[in-house]
Amino acid sequence: MALFDFGKKRPVREAQDSHRPFAFFRAGLSNPQASVGNKPILVFENVTKFHRPDQPTLRDVNLTIERGEFVFITGPSGAGKSTLIQLVHRRQTVDEGRILFCGKDIARLTSDSIPYLRRNLGIVFQDFKVVGHWTVFENVAIALEILEMPRRLVRSRVAEALERVGLKGKGDQITGTLSGGEQQRVAVARAIVTEPALVLADEPTGNLDPHLALDILTLFEEIHATGTTVLFATHDHTLLEQRPHRIVYIDDGHVKEARQGLRDWRGTPQPEARPSSSSSYAHAARDVDDRGSPSFGSTPDFAPLLG
Amino acid sequence: MDLTSTLRRAARGMREEARLHVVSVSSLTIAFLCLGVALLMLANLDALASSWERAGRVTIFLRDGARQSDVEELATALSAIPGVTTVTHVSSAEAREQFVEDAQLGESLETLPADAFPASLEVELAGGSGEVGSQAIADRVSRFAIVEDVETYRGWFSQLQSLLSAGRGVAFALALLVLVCVLFVVGNTIRLAVAGRRDEIEVMKLCGASDRFVRDPFIVEGAVQGFLAALVAVVGLAIGFVLVRGPLDATIASLAGMHTVFLNPVVALGVLVAGAAVGALGSALSLRRYLTV
Repeated sequence: MALFDFGKKRPVREAQDSHRPFAFFRAGLSNPQASVGNKPILVFENVTKFHRPDQPTLRDVNLTIERGEFVFITGPSGAGKSTLIQLVHRRQTVDEGRILFCGKDIARLTSDSIPYLRRNLGIVFQDFKVVGHWTVFENVAIALEILEMPRRLVRSRVAEALERVGLKGKGDQITGTLSGGEQQRVAVARAIVTEPALVLADEPTGNLDPHLALDILTLFEEIHATGTTVLFATHDHTLLEQRPHRIVYIDDGHVKEARQGLRDWRGTPQPEARPSSSSSYAHAARDVDDRGSPSFGSTPDFAPLLG
Repeated sequence: MDLTSTLRRAARGMREEARLHVVSVSSLTIAFLCLGVALLMLANLDALASSWERAGRVTIFLRDGARQSDVEELATALSAIPGVTTVTHVSSAEAREQFVEDAQLGESLETLPADAFPASLEVELAGGSGEVGSQAIADRVSRFAIVEDVETYRGWFSQLQSLLSAGRGVAFALALLVLVCVLFVVGNTIRLAVAGRRDEIEVMKLCGASDRFVRDPFIVEGAVQGFLAALVAVVGLAIGFVLVRGPLDATIASLAGMHTVFLNPVVALGVLVAGAAVGALGSALSLRRYLTV
């Protein structure tokens, strides 16, 4: 049986855990059938995306996301963070190159297959995208209803997800009456309730105050700790400073990355004083090269993030 | 497809957009009521036609001065024909009396001479003898010397058949009109419902809902609208029929020789099923046009 068949609905009960159909995508789970298990979960190969013919939003992006990674996607507003995320869940399509999700080129999916891709992803947005007049339970349960999961199981899975995001006992509340932070937790619960292989978070803290933003980030880290791969797009450098996760920085359509987070660059020179080859910038760049990921031929410039 | 989930989401949608659906069902009920009235008229015309076709009648007009013995001989001969139930002799005086009574024109006709109306033999045919039987009798008796003319009422029958054909045409046209009306009303209702639930649809699509998952509840809503409208129309028509039938039935029975009938249960059920089907179709067409999922 193909483990990941976008073209047709995969029977729920055929998965290792009969009602956790996508669990085998999570890092750390041993699945003897999972031949895809050793492949990176997400690979961008020479991806270019134009929104205007003369100015590509993403230029020849090469990026590899391994299973179980937590990756910050960052960069200035309009740099292409959301575009990158939207390319993964096929809200947009690449103009050049390809994106491999578990080895499958998602750019080549037919429109009928896109829902099956999205069922393997959890997506969280800045504007929450929850239905305000639905209850919290309904907002989370919809992801499982789409999988045609039995009602009894939906109830237990939703309760479990709400507990994980700190909304235990709030299932009957109307979502629109909750605070922004709580609504975002509802969105996170919906994203994780199917136990997706990959969680995409597109500026999930953009509408929240700094304290709540940190709470939400912590929530994503807890999700990551269970083995889920997380792509977390943000332009909030305070979050990047506090966590040593891999950072992918997008600027002018190009991608630069560092594996150790911004903490390593505290006290490094400001934009006008470029780091020397012995600085931690260079270390970061070497890390990238050592991993076999594309080198950009120059030291990554994270200075704009340091404020 | 998870039918329970589809029905639950459709019910929630209808609950949330209750006013919209009530207005839609009300409009559609009027359309179905028009169709129902046309079908009801058609059913009664049909019943009248079958009644006349089944129970045939022949009037044999006798020449003036026909001998009583010849008339009795002819009546006896007619009674012996299979399918003839009764043969009644109506004299000129009786015919005049009957005409004056039926016409209710009062004293102005009282002065009419008795021989202004020809004597006749009224022949009633058993059920099933119908048009063929009456024509056979007409052919056989027209050779008798005492017979002046034979009326088989075929002219009336053919007029009634023409009326029935026209009625069927009107009903068909009304059915088409109702179809267009349902498609239009349901289509617009669903379009408004789609607009009102744009955020829900987006959320579902982001969670990996297939087009069918998103569309099915709307189709169910369209079907329910069509079905409810047809149901209300049929029930309303039945109530109206019962109220009107009481005072009118006796009159119609004496005039046309038949009792009024309501829609055949199969036709009534067909209206309900057609309501649901056309509602679903209207919804599907609207979704195809307005729902980009």
